[in-house]
Amino acid sequence: MASYAADNPAAYANWGQRVGAYLIDYVPIIVLELIAAVSRNPIIWFLFLIASLGWWIYNRCIQAGRTGQSLGKKTLHLRLLSEKTGEPIGAGMAFARDICHILDSLACYIGWLFPLWDAKRQTFADKIVGTVVVPE
Amino acid sequence: MVVLRRGYSVPEHVSMFAVGAASLGAVYPAVVAHTGWPGLPCPLRTLTGVPCPFCGMTTATVALSHGEWGSAAAANPLVYLAAILVVGTLPVLLARTAGLAHGPRPWPEAKRRRARRALAVVVALSWLFQLHRFGFI
Repeated sequence: MASYAADNPAAYANWGQRVGAYLIDYVPIIVLELIAAVSRNPIIWFLFLIASLGWWIYNRCIQAGRTGQSLGKKTLHLRLLSEKTGEPIGAGMAFARDICHILDSLACYIGWLFPLWDAKRQTFADKIVGTVVVPE
Repeated sequence: MVVLRRGYSVPEHVSMFAVGAASLGAVYPAVVAHTGWPGLPCPLRTLTGVPCPFCGMTTATVALSHGEWGSAAAANPLVYLAAILVVGTLPVLLARTAGLAHGPRPWPEAKRRRARRALAVVVALSWLFQLHRFGFI
């Protein structure tokens, strides 16, 4: 598979698509947390917290890492790939990428806006881990 | 697989985001008042006390979308640059969306480099402004 070295923004998923995929990924977690908040039961809250964590690891790390597609990316026909190899990055790197998203939030969340103007439409986290999000 | 999509320039993308942010800014005070939500804090400022160059943009966007020009400038003058960008690119954006204008032509590398440098200066000035605003200098 080809690497993604060319600075052609049209070859990458745009900001709106990426936000959409991200929101879809987090819908189950938001629903679980809302139910937990409404129930005000600490046991339910704890169980739903574990369920949210499980969903995040399965969807954002394992699925996105192994296939390049979390639920959100699959729905919007996007794929997370290595910038160098053009292949999925693996669960470990997908986990590292999500942790690196903390840096995207650091300066007033500006890192999340980078795909608006970046030539490869990458966030800070993408640049650190060396990933791109491309349309299928 | 190559997906053919309508192409927009970087200023147009930023402009579209700014229009969205301004729309949210118009309803933001009502949402905060009804929900008691404290809003999005700047993590850098929350963790270290030091503001980032973009601190005050939410306040400035809300102020500008309510016509409070002075308050917007006092919170973060960068919001005026965003507003100028929207006004400047909106006709092109609309023409492009309607199919009346061709897709954007990429800038030569030298021009892009100059633009990046100019932007870096603007961000640095904004950071100085915020450091002054919060009493660091």
